[in-house]
Amino acid sequence: MEKQLRETAKRLLSDRTVDVVIGYGRLETGAIGPVFITDPDQTDQLVWNTECHQNLIVYLTRKETRPAGKAAVVVKGCDARAAVVLVNESQLNREQFLLIGMVCSGMADQKKAGNPSDLPLYAKCETCTAHAPTTVDILIGDPASAPAPLSKEDRMQKGNYAKLAKIKALSPEDRLDFWKKEFSRCIKCYACRQSCPICYCNRCVADKNRPIRIDTSSTLKGNFAWNILRAFHLAGRCVGCGACSAACPVGIDLDLLNLSLAIPAEEHFNFVSGSDWGTAPLIGTFSEEDREDFIR
Amino acid sequence: MSQLITLDGIRSIMDSLLKEGAIVAAPVNEGENKLFFEKIDTSQKAVLSGTVKTVNSIKEFFFPRHEVLCTFKRNGNDIELTDSQPFDREQIIFGARPCDAAALPVLDPLFAWDYQDRFYQSRREKTTVVVFACQNSDQHCFCGALGLAPDDPSGADAMLFDLGNGFFEVRTFTEKGERLFKEKTSSSDQTGKACPVPGKKLRTKELSVWLKKNFTASIWDDMSKRCVGCGACTYLCPTCHCFDIVDEGSFQKGVRVKNWDSCQMANFTLHASGHNPRAVQGQRQRQRIEHKFSIYPEKFGVLLCTGCGNCTRNCPSSLGVRPFLDAIEKQLDQ
Repeated sequence: MEKQLRETAKRLLSDRTVDVVIGYGRLETGAIGPVFITDPDQTDQLVWNTECHQNLIVYLTRKETRPAGKAAVVVKGCDARAAVVLVNESQLNREQFLLIGMVCSGMADQKKAGNPSDLPLYAKCETCTAHAPTTVDILIGDPASAPAPLSKEDRMQKGNYAKLAKIKALSPEDRLDFWKKEFSRCIKCYACRQSCPICYCNRCVADKNRPIRIDTSSTLKGNFAWNILRAFHLAGRCVGCGACSAACPVGIDLDLLNLSLAIPAEEHFNFVSGSDWGTAPLIGTFSEEDREDFIR
Repeated sequence: MSQLITLDGIRSIMDSLLKEGAIVAAPVNEGENKLFFEKIDTSQKAVLSGTVKTVNSIKEFFFPRHEVLCTFKRNGNDIELTDSQPFDREQIIFGARPCDAAALPVLDPLFAWDYQDRFYQSRREKTTVVVFACQNSDQHCFCGALGLAPDDPSGADAMLFDLGNGFFEVRTFTEKGERLFKEKTSSSDQTGKACPVPGKKLRTKELSVWLKKNFTASIWDDMSKRCVGCGACTYLCPTCHCFDIVDEGSFQKGVRVKNWDSCQMANFTLHASGHNPRAVQGQRQRQRIEHKFSIYPEKFGVLLCTGCGNCTRNCPSSLGVRPFLDAIEKQLDQ
């Protein structure tokens, strides 16, 4: 797959289909991270392995890396969904970029201790329904080799769904204590927001100071306000890529908060964020057949 | 002749300090592979051997991420102001790394420069820092590159060396350190040592000169591409010390607080007019490197970096200080 990826990138750059390939490479620090390749002779820098956990779609909307021309981005199934959301929410033009989709069996959880390449998978990878991306321009790898997506019922018993179920089973008091303990470590570095492709606001509500909407202090109150507010703003939008949790330096499982809102979106509205082009955002649409009557 | 103490001996010092009402902080496990400096209520929580680095530094025990400066309350047409009092409890930090503690003498002149910061100073006066010499380093450690070492005593009141047999060698450097271990140790001829010094020595003087001449070098924008613009590097850095003063609360009552702030965030330098003098991430990264290796040393005579590697270790895209230093070092040879 890695060889095919390099060849594909080389071709796209040589025939000027794209101006830059944003992919994964071995950084000088030893970690796997983003590389921005413009020279067709440099595509050997690209790597594909179980450490490619970052969601590179975030670089399509950053001022510093928003491509002057066309970009090809190396994506996993979850990352591809983020690109779909950005197009569906009118943040990107579909013509602006190409997606090089990688068939993925899951990424090694870099937060765990041990050799980076053979760590257990991220919990979210165990319940992934996008091992073989479907919304990409070029697919690398054999979709048949990818683990089959689990049914809704089976997902509930596994990975991040099981972790969330465990928290939800707690009494309200214990649940509050759980999140208090987690949020008490939050230092408000906003690594969650900055790593999230869907958190694209030019000016985040957390940065507004006339008036201050939420406390900038990283007190328990300020930390609850920030983390809960972010989860609300991602309701029906989060694609579950787990970039927030992977980026969180203090190890808060932020993806579980977002999952707790993605589950009802799927259950009640049959909506999976970023699964297809042209779908109206869940929060931005309504149905006249809605069983709640407040909308009519 | 050396002085030894057992792990149980250390724990019993911690417990008696707690009994006396002191604040005791130490590395604590918070779930798998997550080690943090935290206040503890029993010595059993402290993880004192076999570790490399906590996620946070000990900075927050001197310069907390949130500190109330004063409170205000309206009484009719009057406003009642109450100043916060300087810190007045005994505080003892166990298990700091030399790179954590070395940051303290670096920060001291800053907080006692044009303004005497009593909040910082009182915490410094009331705190005893017990450093554990490093027995392990990881790929991000580079204290040696900056002239420090895994047994550097800067900022430490005492230093303990894990002998690996349940005993620790105690070396004290200050009165505070001596007081803590007085009559708690036994004499021996065993001495401890630290792990090999990580990181090849960098030419920091030349590096500082290079920085002055290369304000528009291409490395700033090129290397900063992968930065996502969060503040993890600065907040978990033992020496970064920027803060913002804001008022919180309602029209009737509230607090004026000092909160951590980060030069890596886009709104750090955003003017009220909408103009941002550091409009892109490359300029923000340049600022951080210049501050640490040129501006600060020029003003205070010390580097604003101890080579702990926390910036890279905790960066979502594995950037931080080291990659920039290595890239500049390469340019020095050209």
